[in-house]
Amino acid sequence: MPFNRKPQKFNAQIKAVEIGVGEKAIKIGGENILPFYTFDGDMGNTPKVGVEISDMGLEGAVAGIVSYYEGCTTAAEMAKKAAEMEGADFVALSLEGGDPNGANKSTEELVAVAKEVADAIDLPLVVEGCKNVEKDSELLVKVAEALQGKNVLVLAAKEENYKAVGAAAGLAYNQKVGAESAVDINLAKQLNVVMTQLGVKPESVVMNVGTAAVGYGYEYVVSTMDRIKAAALAQSDTTLQMPIITPVASETWSVKESLAEEADAPEWGSREERGISMEIQTAAADLVSGSNAVILRHPQSVATIAKMIKELA
Amino acid sequence: MSKFIVIGERISVTAPSINRAFAEKDPEPILTRAKQQLDAGAYYLDVNIGPAESNGEELMKWAVELLQGEFDNVPLALDTANMKAIEAGISVYNRSKGKPIVNSADAAGRIEYVDLAAANDAIVIALCNGEGIAKDNDERMMYCQTLLERGMEHGMEATDLWFDPLFLVTKGMQDKQMDILECIKMFSDMGLNSTGGLSNNSNGMPKHIRPIMDSAMVAMAMMQGLTSAIVNPNDLRLMETIKSCDIIKNNTLYADSYLEL
Repeated sequence: MPFNRKPQKFNAQIKAVEIGVGEKAIKIGGENILPFYTFDGDMGNTPKVGVEISDMGLEGAVAGIVSYYEGCTTAAEMAKKAAEMEGADFVALSLEGGDPNGANKSTEELVAVAKEVADAIDLPLVVEGCKNVEKDSELLVKVAEALQGKNVLVLAAKEENYKAVGAAAGLAYNQKVGAESAVDINLAKQLNVVMTQLGVKPESVVMNVGTAAVGYGYEYVVSTMDRIKAAALAQSDTTLQMPIITPVASETWSVKESLAEEADAPEWGSREERGISMEIQTAAADLVSGSNAVILRHPQSVATIAKMIKELA
Repeated sequence: MSKFIVIGERISVTAPSINRAFAEKDPEPILTRAKQQLDAGAYYLDVNIGPAESNGEELMKWAVELLQGEFDNVPLALDTANMKAIEAGISVYNRSKGKPIVNSADAAGRIEYVDLAAANDAIVIALCNGEGIAKDNDERMMYCQTLLERGMEHGMEATDLWFDPLFLVTKGMQDKQMDILECIKMFSDMGLNSTGGLSNNSNGMPKHIRPIMDSAMVAMAMMQGLTSAIVNPNDLRLMETIKSCDIIKNNTLYADSYLEL
């Protein structure tokens, strides 16, 4: 009997969200197929790769990252260098220095950094907060205001602060806004619902549904992303038809496999190789589970994942 | 599984205001009811223009264009005894939100409605009835087979026939209610879609009882595999029940605001 190919068709589509301005602007999402199922239909826009830098510089970074940014003294210089990285589609600036339990930099200082970085590059910019809900409610609002016209993606509005962050980034200052939940499908959906009820256009929302480093309960990440794409495409659930962005590096570079020095764990071999491996494996798994964009740090990871996307898409 | 499909029943000549609106081609009462139903969660709207023997074709075209033009190509069930009027409606129908539904065929005098749906790539509501009400499920399933075969012969997908067991009034036919529910299970076990005028079960009951009875019926019927119903979506209790059953069946993903969606 001859093989009879039956494409899996959906009457629904993930929304395409544009980030950045000008020639280098990117679109993520737009597909009406499962991840990389290009044999079934249109992938829309290929998944995108972002390079993460931090207002804290290269604190704790491995040698390969340090040497890549050699000579850079400011975040703006690092951003330029990050934008040149092979495989980079956008730059992600983490304002982790704002954490009140860490460096506790002022909002003004961090907004100035964000402004410098945004002015230094023509690649689209994603700005990540410091993860402290209260500080981010103020910080991300000011960032959204200061970067008007740049069409940045602000990460992220959470259950506790979506009104402040969502209203500022998504409504008042016309940026794109991330909706962050931590591997919780019901909350992911709820956040999209309340953000749109707030008046934020669905085309302005990108989901960060969370990830774990591979080996750290990762199967929940897969089932979360699977269920979201299934609801969005197979059940035509419009509240979940937003693309997904996944900050991978911040997860994978903080687990022991990526932190333990070779001197402390000689049987594990090179720390840098381990760290790259964790970053690549997690990013690859996120992408095939449904992420439309990943945020990475190491040049080798960025190049490898960009190549993987190119060859699969 | 996909979401339960609510077909709003309120655009019907049985309502005096709508009857008059069709007679006078007055859009306002029709659009008002359409909006109320869509806001409440209807997906399809039933458009019952009555027998419409004289001007059915023109009237159905007018209604289809009016509703689809105003409400982003809302999918419609075209409901009339005038077959030509249904065909005329389909000729101007936009399918981007769903195929038109032909309402309805049965296994006796109205079996040609299946052919009509097949010829126009439409969905058809297939009432498992012959002449008079089926006496038991053997008879219902015989009609089901007849209708299914008729559709398949004409090249339809089995899923485009939505089988209607014919909901019966509880006051007077209380002993038949479980038969109806078992019939729905048989459709479901065959992988078939189903629908029907579910609120018929509460006909003649006091007004405050009907939403309760209809909600209980829809929950039990959804448990049996009912995939759609022709109902009044402005019955809040009924819609809350349907949305909750969709959650329990995993037809929609839960979120705290699910009742508002």
